[in-house]
Amino acid sequence: MLFRRAFKDSIPVLMGYSTMGFASGLLLAVGGAISWSPLWAAATSAAFVSGPLQYIFVDWMATSLAIGSVLLVTLCVNFRYSLYGLSLIERFQGASLWKKAYLIGTITDETYALQMACDLKGGTYVTYCLFLTMLDHLYWICGVTAGAVVGVLAQGAFSPEKVAAATQGIDFAMTALFLVILADLLRNAANRLPALIGLVAALVAVFVFGKGGMLIPAISLIVAAFLAFRRWLDGK
Amino acid sequence: MESKALYALTVLVSVGVLSYLLRALPFLLFGTRGEPPALVKYVGRVLSPAAIAMLVVYCYAGEVAKLTPNTHMWAIAAPYLAGVLTIALQLWRRNPLLSIIAGTLFYMLLVRL
Repeated sequence: MLFRRAFKDSIPVLMGYSTMGFASGLLLAVGGAISWSPLWAAATSAAFVSGPLQYIFVDWMATSLAIGSVLLVTLCVNFRYSLYGLSLIERFQGASLWKKAYLIGTITDETYALQMACDLKGGTYVTYCLFLTMLDHLYWICGVTAGAVVGVLAQGAFSPEKVAAATQGIDFAMTALFLVILADLLRNAANRLPALIGLVAALVAVFVFGKGGMLIPAISLIVAAFLAFRRWLDGK
Repeated sequence: MESKALYALTVLVSVGVLSYLLRALPFLLFGTRGEPPALVKYVGRVLSPAAIAMLVVYCYAGEVAKLTPNTHMWAIAAPYLAGVLTIALQLWRRNPLLSIIAGTLFYMLLVRL
């Protein structure tokens, strides 16, 4: 019964993760310039559990971005997750260590929202959350891997050149994903100034250092601006 | 091992470990109870919008880098027109899947004109 409830609640996530995952897997196969892409798709989707990181992983593979920049981007994109756990600490109390370790390690915006919306208590709640988290995690891994498998099969059936020509422009899905996340964040007035700071810092950094070298300067500028303007930005 | 695979493995392990540590941070630092410092809460709140805005600029820098003297007008305009469509759809219908698919298909159409 708990499983059925978790499955029913997770259906919107199934639609989103399988489609977005599929597109990122396809991108990796077509544009990631790496052999055995389905294997990398499965491993990275299981370990990162993040849409933005999964898309930008393709860019990293294509450009071999320095690991320092890679880690800094990861830190900035996923820092908010470190705050999600806090609101769940008390509700997960009593769960065994490995259950907690799994629940916490795979949390996403969507899973978090569903977990916060659930009114169950105690052990039942933890079991529900486990089902939900496993389902969401599985949708994501299957979506990404299936995309890469289809990409590789298509390259085998036709030719890499033909597949590249047919899918030309599909990499805009990454830009579109970030634009959608940004549009949603900007609904909340408190996010507008931080977003503007990110925009200005990134523009300055890209004009000075170019695309390949912009990320670390941009992030440094953003953090410096946050510390300098905290008085105005920190509306509690 | 080919160098590309070695690079992928390095990214897989380092990003995987960092992602995990970030998610587990409150539990590691504050145990089962407690509050993070106000500065951490503040940075956590403002960092996401800034990081996403930065990544949008990063994506568009990639679009500019793709340009060649032979790029036709519609392909130059494609990322901006498709971007406007994506944002407009998202603000209007609030359906991420719809906005992303429509924006991407529109982009794919424009670069083929």
